[in-house]
Amino acid sequence: MKWMPTCRETTALASRALDTRLSFADRMALRLHLAICDNCARFNRQLQEMRRLFREEAADDTTPGLADDARQRIATTLQKTLGA
Amino acid sequence: MTELDPQTWLAAHGDYLFRVARRQLHSDELAEDAVQETLLAALAARARYTGDASPRTWLTGILKHKIVDLIRRQLREVELPRDQDGEEAVDLLFKQDGHWAEPLRPWGNPHTEAELSQLRRVLDECADRLKPVMAQVFSLREVAGLETEEICKELDITPTNCWVLLHRARLFMRQCLELNGFARAGAA
Repeated sequence: MKWMPTCRETTALASRALDTRLSFADRMALRLHLAICDNCARFNRQLQEMRRLFREEAADDTTPGLADDARQRIATTLQKTLGA
Repeated sequence: MTELDPQTWLAAHGDYLFRVARRQLHSDELAEDAVQETLLAALAARARYTGDASPRTWLTGILKHKIVDLIRRQLREVELPRDQDGEEAVDLLFKQDGHWAEPLRPWGNPHTEAELSQLRRVLDECADRLKPVMAQVFSLREVAGLETEEICKELDITPTNCWVLLHRARLFMRQCLELNGFARAGAA
């Protein structure tokens, strides 16, 4: 990687930084670019915000639950297995 | 013994398990399968349930494995995206020289429960719109919180492939969220 990554390369680094530990050179390149680029700094903040939203609403009870027919089907399967 | 009755589990935790599964599998049908397989596995293993964890926690632990099983099974049937897949869509987000094609708009801060619930709906709808493999890898990482090493191992893909899929998924998700109500004028 060149000493200064492009925005496109920076988004890849910012994304990978959420999944693994970057090499020293990559960390420096990312930090340098984020320091001078408002768009990429915003992208980086939004990635973290997105993760926070996903993790905290892992079990949101406003979304639909099991459909009645599926519930019935599962109940029947369980009953059969219990009786077997 | 009611705690160990599978029909009670279904009544008390069925909706919860379905919602957790639905958000990671992006399909009602697969999520229903995951709930059924979880309860069947729990039934077979109930002698080993020690009561240390609540039934819901215990069932959710089983569900996580079932979700990964279902995704793995599904990935065997679909073609894995080639490296170029999605690359053209990414090209649209950037100029030739690697700069952003459009400035990113700031996101607002939701305050009311109604606003939050609206954003959650957008979040799930955007995730459902990703290509299947991408959506599932993204969900295993962001929703289930699996480490990329685990995802690669479970799905038999290379770490590089995994990172490329996650990078594209995040670019598309961010774009979709911005276009569907996350962006607010004048917000931070």
